[in-house]
Amino acid sequence: MRFLALLRKELRESLPWMLLTAIVFLAIGGFSLREAHLYGMYDWSERYFSSRYISETYGLLYRHSPLQVIGPVLLLTSLGLGLVLGVRHFWIPYFTRTWPFLIHRSVDRTTIFWAKLAAAIITFLISLGAVWAAFYSYSCHPERFTMLPIKRVFIEGWLFIALGLVVYLGTALTGLSTARWYTTRIFGLAFATVIICATIFEWRLGWAFAAIIIGAAILLSQINDTISNREF
Amino acid sequence: MTETVLETEGLTKYYGSTLAVDHLDLKIPQGCICGFVGRNGAGKTTAIKLMLGLLRPTAGSSRLLGCDSAALTPAIRQRIGYVTEGHRLFRWMSIAELEKFQRSFFPKQWDDKFFADMIEYFNLPKKRKIKNLSNGERAQVSLALALAPNPELLIMDDPTLGLDAAIRRQFLEGMIELIMRQGRTVLFSSHILGDVERVSDRIVVIDKGVLRANCSLEEFRAAVKKVILSFADSTPAEVDIEGLLHCRRSENELELILIGPADEQIGKWADKNGAEKYHIVKMNLEDQFIEYTAPANHRRLFRWEET
Amino acid sequence: MVHSTQCIKSISTIVPILNIEGFINRGKTAVMGLWIQISSGSGEPIYVQVAEQISEAIAKGELAKGDKLPAVRKLAAELVINPNTVARAYSRLERTGLVTSKTGSGTFVSDPKLRRRDAADINVLTERMDNVITRGLNLGLEGRDLIELFKGRLAKFVNKKAERRKND
Repeated sequence: MRFLALLRKELRESLPWMLLTAIVFLAIGGFSLREAHLYGMYDWSERYFSSRYISETYGLLYRHSPLQVIGPVLLLTSLGLGLVLGVRHFWIPYFTRTWPFLIHRSVDRTTIFWAKLAAAIITFLISLGAVWAAFYSYSCHPERFTMLPIKRVFIEGWLFIALGLVVYLGTALTGLSTARWYTTRIFGLAFATVIICATIFEWRLGWAFAAIIIGAAILLSQINDTISNREF
Repeated sequence: MTETVLETEGLTKYYGSTLAVDHLDLKIPQGCICGFVGRNGAGKTTAIKLMLGLLRPTAGSSRLLGCDSAALTPAIRQRIGYVTEGHRLFRWMSIAELEKFQRSFFPKQWDDKFFADMIEYFNLPKKRKIKNLSNGERAQVSLALALAPNPELLIMDDPTLGLDAAIRRQFLEGMIELIMRQGRTVLFSSHILGDVERVSDRIVVIDKGVLRANCSLEEFRAAVKKVILSFADSTPAEVDIEGLLHCRRSENELELILIGPADEQIGKWADKNGAEKYHIVKMNLEDQFIEYTAPANHRRLFRWEET
Repeated sequence: MVHSTQCIKSISTIVPILNIEGFINRGKTAVMGLWIQISSGSGEPIYVQVAEQISEAIAKGELAKGDKLPAVRKLAAELVINPNTVARAYSRLERTGLVTSKTGSGTFVSDPKLRRRDAADINVLTERMDNVITRGLNLGLEGRDLIELFKGRLAKFVNKKAERRKND
């Protein structure tokens, strides 16, 4: 009952960002797909992404699926959403001084955080996950595209979404931190960046997911500590 | 035996090297309206936040409704109403949405009719968003939200800062209304000493983080006295009267601020030291507060010289 | 329902925002025309102000023997002061014998014949008289003028009391 009230509030606060992200991702991704459809090219990736690294690493297996191009778009949008939501949920209450009003409630302090996290997960799922799944199913039609996507591309997309959540957790930790030195406070964001780097350059999906899970777990435990000890 | 709703022991808070609250030892009984007064930056807000468990003390402890402030359970928090500094609410919510949100945390206590009556009295449309309310209107909503769950203990941090006289009066009415119910206590910090004088049973004076007074309002009013003595010649070199706080001299006059002595004692001292006449100045709470918290070498800001 | 209409439409009395239905039902003997004005900025303690004004009303005959004073809570809510302050004012009046309180029924104006006067009260009265005399003399009035003035004012008070007794 109380958790739902908190969740409703957090979702409503995240709603504009949910819509914005969905629209942006839909627009850019849709445009790219449409371009690929029109041109029907399979060296289309070279035109927009001249990064040799990406085409070489990914190109070995699935260079020619148009969906592959949307991958980086998804990654950037996901990281952006993570940052924005983290700021909205954890920095804005500090600047608008609404933390005391939120914290003095008949719930455990951590429940307040769980509501925010749940709202963030739902936002990611709807604005990015659902759209990504829609793109995937759209690209799976042989009559539209000469080259069909491989499942791996689809899974990578979810990896990018998970990375966005890691950025969210990192931003949250930085926002909650009350350490005196700014260099200590930035730990959350810095750690999230490390996880991102470790993952996107990692070929093997298994290791990538492991890095994400471990990184998220570390950030979560730090956040838990900070919330219990933090002064609002 | 009345319960103690608030108890602090050696409560101390340092912000870096700044001492905000210095070994506060307080005990507030149930059933009173207690006014926290102090100059700007005296540490009232910090003390209140420490008591509510929103800040962690550097040293000492505090208990609210019998429960340690660092570990206030949700059940205890449900019995405590809190009006935050500046009445910061969620700006995007409408009054109705905010009510719904707040009410879900008080499933059995929330008084729908009371809240509706208050909002109607304030003439506030339920659909209006908080960001479109003026400061005063936001304060009114804040008051309604705090009173509707019928809290046992209501803590208000400078609730009338910057508000007009009518709204200040409404807050006082709200406090009186609450105190008339069985077993309620109200703690509020304020700079408007007229308001404090009007409704408080007890007064707590905090000065530079230190507790200077914690007594009934009547005691405080009776204790702080200003006496002006005129002398034919020069004023006595040594002023050894009991309870002397400040002493100001001019040519033939002594202005003394005293804590505690009875009027007769003052008269006796005046006679003993050869005062021509003396006058015990009638002070209101504001004057008493200013004198009580003035620094030792306090002078007037501006001085008129006779030419 | 009645209560909330009263809240908005009543302009002659500012009704406090509380459930006063209970008070309305119980306090039907509240005294009409008892008008007390307190100010929190004057040097006088609030309970003294309340006590003095009630005392004055009794002296002027606006409150007669047997009249019931407003319930402590009602007066506190109307004046927006602490109920303990009202209680203290009533105690003070009780000590000077102007009112008597009957547990359960309320506080009533006492019979003038049964009122006590102690030395302290006479002292206060003398002090006040001295005050008036000093002022009069400072204005240049003579003893005779002061006495005439006093007689005139006293007559007014006594007449008011007599009128009230006639109307009852």
